[in-house]
Amino acid sequence: MKEIRKTIIFVLAMLSLMNSFAQNKTIIRGRVIDKADKTTIIGANIIEYNRENRVINGTITNVNGDFVLQLIDPGNVVSVSVIGYTTQTIKVDPSRAVIVELSSSDIQIGEITVTAQAQTSNRLTNIEERDNASSTVKIDLIEMHNEGIVSAADALQGKVSGLDIISSSGDPGSGSSLVIRGLSSMGNSRPLVVIDGIPQMRISRDFDLTSADTEDISNLINIALQDIKSIEVLKDAASTAAYGSQGADGVLLIETNKGRMGKVQFDYNYKYSLNVQPPATPMLNGDEYIMLQLEEWHNSQGVFDLPAEIAYDRDYIDFYNYSANTDWIAAVTSGAQTHDHFFKVSGGGEKTRYYTSFSYIDEGGTTINTNAKMFFTRINFDYFLSRKLLFSVQFNYNSNSTEGNMSISGRNIRQMAYIKAPNMSIWEYDQFGKLTGEYFTPINSYQGYGGDYYNPVAVSELGKNDYVENMLQNTFILRYKISDWLTFNETVSFQYSGSKSKSFLPFNAMGTDWLQWTVNKADETNSLSSSKNIESQILFNVPFQAKQHVLSGSATWIVKQSQYEGMNIQSNKTPSVNIQDPSVNAQINWQGSWSGASRDLSGVFNLNYKLHDRYMVQTILRADANSAFGDNNRWGLFKGVSLGWRFSHEPLLDSWDFLGDCMLRASWGVSGKQPGDTYARFATYSTTANGNYIQNPAIIPTSIQLDNIKWESITSYDLGLELNLFDDRLYLEGDLYNKLTTNILFGNYSIPTSSGFPQLKYLNSGELENKGWELMTEIRAIRQKNWYLSFSFNTSQNINAFTKLPENFNTERSTSIGNGQYPLRVVEGEPIGSFFGFRYLGVWPSDEMVKATDADGNILVDSEGKRIPFTYLGTYNFKGGDAIYEDINHDGKIDLNDVVYIGDSNPNFVGGFGTNLKYKNFNFALNFNYRMGFDIVNRVAIDTENMSGRHNQSKAVLNRWRVQGQDEEGMLPRAYLNHPANYLGSDRFVEKGDFIRLNSITMGYRFSQTLCSKLGLRSANLAFSARKLLTFTNYTGQDPEVSMNASNPFWIGEDRANTPPSKVFTLSLSIGF
Amino acid sequence: MKMKIKMNLQKKIRYLMLFALLFTGISCNDWLELLPPGGLIKEEFWKTKEDVEAVLMGAYDSFASMDELLFKYGEIRADLVQYDSNLGSDERNMMQSNIYPTNYLCDWSQFYKVINYANEVIHHAPLVQKIDDTFTPYQVESMMAEAYFLRSLAYFYLVRIFRDVPFITGPTLSDGTDFYVPKTDGDEILRILLEELKTHRSSATTDGYATLAELKGRATKAAYDALIADIALWLFDYNTCIEYADNIIGNKDYTLMPSTKWFEIFYPGNSLEGIFEFQFDDDLNQRNSMYGLTQRYAYLYDPSPKALEMFAADYAARELYRGENSSIKKYGTDDYIIWKYVGRAPDGYSIRSGSEQNSCNWIVYRYAEVLLMKAEALSQLERFDEAHELLTKIRDRADVSAISIANSKIAYEDAILEERALELAFEGKRWFDLLRMGRRDNYARKAALVEIIIKNVPSTQKRILATKLTNPLGWYMPIAESEIERNRELVQNPFYNY
Repeated sequence: MKEIRKTIIFVLAMLSLMNSFAQNKTIIRGRVIDKADKTTIIGANIIEYNRENRVINGTITNVNGDFVLQLIDPGNVVSVSVIGYTTQTIKVDPSRAVIVELSSSDIQIGEITVTAQAQTSNRLTNIEERDNASSTVKIDLIEMHNEGIVSAADALQGKVSGLDIISSSGDPGSGSSLVIRGLSSMGNSRPLVVIDGIPQMRISRDFDLTSADTEDISNLINIALQDIKSIEVLKDAASTAAYGSQGADGVLLIETNKGRMGKVQFDYNYKYSLNVQPPATPMLNGDEYIMLQLEEWHNSQGVFDLPAEIAYDRDYIDFYNYSANTDWIAAVTSGAQTHDHFFKVSGGGEKTRYYTSFSYIDEGGTTINTNAKMFFTRINFDYFLSRKLLFSVQFNYNSNSTEGNMSISGRNIRQMAYIKAPNMSIWEYDQFGKLTGEYFTPINSYQGYGGDYYNPVAVSELGKNDYVENMLQNTFILRYKISDWLTFNETVSFQYSGSKSKSFLPFNAMGTDWLQWTVNKADETNSLSSSKNIESQILFNVPFQAKQHVLSGSATWIVKQSQYEGMNIQSNKTPSVNIQDPSVNAQINWQGSWSGASRDLSGVFNLNYKLHDRYMVQTILRADANSAFGDNNRWGLFKGVSLGWRFSHEPLLDSWDFLGDCMLRASWGVSGKQPGDTYARFATYSTTANGNYIQNPAIIPTSIQLDNIKWESITSYDLGLELNLFDDRLYLEGDLYNKLTTNILFGNYSIPTSSGFPQLKYLNSGELENKGWELMTEIRAIRQKNWYLSFSFNTSQNINAFTKLPENFNTERSTSIGNGQYPLRVVEGEPIGSFFGFRYLGVWPSDEMVKATDADGNILVDSEGKRIPFTYLGTYNFKGGDAIYEDINHDGKIDLNDVVYIGDSNPNFVGGFGTNLKYKNFNFALNFNYRMGFDIVNRVAIDTENMSGRHNQSKAVLNRWRVQGQDEEGMLPRAYLNHPANYLGSDRFVEKGDFIRLNSITMGYRFSQTLCSKLGLRSANLAFSARKLLTFTNYTGQDPEVSMNASNPFWIGEDRANTPPSKVFTLSLSIGF
Repeated sequence: MKMKIKMNLQKKIRYLMLFALLFTGISCNDWLELLPPGGLIKEEFWKTKEDVEAVLMGAYDSFASMDELLFKYGEIRADLVQYDSNLGSDERNMMQSNIYPTNYLCDWSQFYKVINYANEVIHHAPLVQKIDDTFTPYQVESMMAEAYFLRSLAYFYLVRIFRDVPFITGPTLSDGTDFYVPKTDGDEILRILLEELKTHRSSATTDGYATLAELKGRATKAAYDALIADIALWLFDYNTCIEYADNIIGNKDYTLMPSTKWFEIFYPGNSLEGIFEFQFDDDLNQRNSMYGLTQRYAYLYDPSPKALEMFAADYAARELYRGENSSIKKYGTDDYIIWKYVGRAPDGYSIRSGSEQNSCNWIVYRYAEVLLMKAEALSQLERFDEAHELLTKIRDRADVSAISIANSKIAYEDAILEERALELAFEGKRWFDLLRMGRRDNYARKAALVEIIIKNVPSTQKRILATKLTNPLGWYMPIAESEIERNRELVQNPFYNY
């Protein structure tokens, strides 16, 4: 036997030798056809692998499906693959042409199962998506792109339960604020954005809360919309614990498109949008304004000297300048359009896959002289070095430039337009009524100093406030499959961002001398930030012999470092309005620079076990160390456990055919938040303002050492149920959750000044709770070849409360009462962002009617039987025409004791619903979103209905009290110059903000395949959509979608007349070839 | 065969580990210890005696930069100044005793900053000594003595302004410190400070400074004596007052300036009479506020009718050396300004110019006041002759004739009060002098105080003001609203609890 074996081996060896001799001639040829319909397949890959599974040679089939491949080694494996078909290994037989019949791979699997089996690559965990037992929602954007969505926020708004998205402003370049399951920290919530596994850099400098608005926050997603494949929202701490100290505000996982194997594809997408601003609050015209002013003067002063500006005196030198009827709002509003071009090339073969895109967006603003231009490019490149080794490179560059208007004395030009006297002219007239060609910018006008009451058109046209930002991100990933059950990943990522903002205000835009420090003022800020992120990861999937046990997991080690630096320079008295750079020889007011760095180390361990494909346990443990903390609190431990039970797979329920994949899940987790200022813990010393005393240097301590600073931690519990019924026709998902924030990080926490310091940079204390439930459902009513109809609905309720206040916490954040002022209070058990103020009961019809009463309505009298006057603070006696406030304690005096709770800014319910209809090549979609049960402080009404100063007022004031005895429904108080109490902070200006909005309406048409081929195209789509077309609300302000700006955590939800989100009409065309 | 695979795998893993280490092996605690790139932190500070001295200077400098506040607290509620058109509403309200807790003058944070700096020095000086061998025990003691002095002076102001205040004697080192300190009785604080000052007086230097500016601008034994005498007088501990006043009177380094050189006390300052003066020097970027506050075009504070009666030539005042063109100056027909911080000479026209404008010192104690303190203490002990002698000495120096005073405490009290007004006008003393009179002998002369003050207000307000001032609690400032909100241990001063 041995001999025989030897002989065989010898013969074989000889043969192989011969083969190797014949190597040059080993050519295989054949044809690739579809197994089902026997049509030929074009562009199939024929790949030769060597023994190490390394790709060494290959070709593709031609238009007839034929291929010819000259083999390097006939002993090698040759496989045939093409997208959409199962890959097949073929026998090397150079003697004849082979017919390779490929079977289509997606027939039985269906698109749903394809995504369900995906093992997401951008995670720190190693869980199959289908098994995930924590609360996450994934939205696929691929479909939506053809349907013409305009922004990522649009794609999410009203679609994910528990996610509250508010467009912060309609100004170009501004985005939306995102709140996941209620406000859980002090200050604005900033979810962590992870793009393809790379956490996006946040500027770690503790940015100035007073100037930061939500616009800074939502621009986190700096990526072209068309590049996004999916967005996944991680809601509970069991899933966000994987991101440890950065996960407290929730996590958005964004996956971008990758190249796919197949023919090169070119796609072009163009969107044209028309932005229309909703109608502004109607304001008084010049004549009505003058009447109002005269009445204010008369009511407050009786007889008075008529100011020339409102006297209609034709001899007055500025008569023509003060007798206009200017609609200032209209003057600063313009129609706007947006062009959005997107081009991508993608494709790939067995060895390499690539995806490249360029995008350019030119967005016009509805406020004059505002626009944003954005440029995005992205390259995703995958190179399969062998079947075991994958090397990926991702490159991303964005450039973003925004032109805006200046804000002066705390008022932006839109706010100015609301209050500017409408009898003033935009352009200056001389005394004969001839236009001089200059803007009318008096140093002092009837309203006041020209620097405070500027001409908004002039400031917008002549001033500038520009912002440019460039961002670059590079990621290198090496993936090595060590064995069937072990994979190693090494990811190195660099992010870099540089920005510059520049503003200039020429003196002729304001009615001031050029030597005034506010004008001819140039301001420039440059800042740079960068970060490096290195992740080493081992993924394992233990293949037990028996399929009932599945064990998987991962261990990851992350090292991160980020730096920032910047400088700011301001100068004024630049010698000419054309010299707008602060570096010229001008007076430097201020220059400053800053820099810093932060470092993180993290270890993440994830272990998952699944039994019988029914019972799942998933655990996560993450340890984070951050340079912001001292030795004692440096390491933070974040953890999560999720349990899942796929009860639909229980043998007991086998007979229930209507049951699809159904899962009951429960999770618990802890994630955290670190302070923004990484150097806060140090006690710092600096020189005094003078720097010395006598001849000795003088140094003083400037901040307190923080020994107790630690992570803010968020513990959440979640109980969820997912139901897939009737062959995926009905999908239901419900969640109950409780989220408790402990050791809340309070920034700039006020302490008694007797300590020698005004504040602590941070204090960890107190507890904040958010609890609620969520429900999402989708009904796919019709699923036929030509017809498809689905409905979706989601809702969520969140209840927010301060459950524990810090010891010594000052619950009276402000006790100031007065016109337009609301005292700020925090009450244990009440939600954050509650409003307190007086109760407004209407207007006193006449002087005689004014009376102070006790609880039973009896008139209050003093010991001598005289009527006690009804007063404000005991100093002002109310009269006819004044506002009535409820005297809660019935002491005849309206003061701090009469302040009550009058509302809060947290919505009780948020959600959305929509429908999607497809018929042949047409599709039609409607999406609504709603927010219910929240209040808004209408600051615009406070400013435009007070009739107490010289600001312009809204048309609502035409219905005001004018004469004794006048008593009308809904009448406003009387006009009265500097009235002490006619518009105290009361529920008069607190309105219900509830709304239901038709968020988007989309109609699309997909050109038929035959038409496309005639045109030489692969595909073509045309879509028309309209955004924010209809709003159902009782709110009287311009728009009830008021941003939850929590920069002052105790004063959230005030309508400050930002540019409201516009109605946008978009025409979108996509072609592929 | 199986073995080989295993080996292979192990090898691969080893490679991977190495690879991973390459990127990540730098992990250790040191790597996470990031210090701020700019600025000075505690870890790098408190190493040498120079550090200790620098913070001590920080305390002096911060105290000195309060000169404007010291003027306001000491003068504007009293009867020697009146407001002019540019004065802000908070100051106007204070002058009329319409004080609400929102008035910025209720903010005591500046004083507490100085107190904290002093506390830091007291805490760290002995610790630094262990590290820095060149830091001699004598230097440690003497720097600490200066810190004790500044802390006591700050509390002495606080107690006179607010009465009861939180008494904090340790530095605010970290967020572990208890910030929520309730009020301590003001007199109690002063009694503690008095004992403390007596103890540390021995460590203060007499002539350990190289320059005149340091001798006058830092706390010496004489400065200690003056402060002890002043606090003792406020506590009506007359014997202590006399004892420590005598320390200065017996000190050959200090004497009254001759009458012809009286104005040199203010310009150029640091005269033979100066005991403790906060130093200013515009050339060193140390600018005082008093020039800006009182110069002709400031239109903030003017001499009151009472001050004009005392000093103005038109009002038949007899003051030659301390009168018009020295304490005050007349412009045009009836525009008077305060001259002590504006002029270069008692001639009424030489104005401080250039860098001198903002260089006049803020005089806390000078020799003449110590004599008057002693006179007050003597007269209260009914040692009238000795008191009269001291009073005459001051009047002689001013070249005004001696006055005859009846041998009663009240007559002397009034005479000394009047003499203090003449000698120390606009130096931030008057209001505290009036309070001392009002508080004496259990408010026996409350009415006299009220009468003096209401003379300085328009007739329409006299009655309102008189009612307000009848309650001695109204003589003190309320605690700032924001401070009450920050510290729940604090109770608002009773007069303002409405």
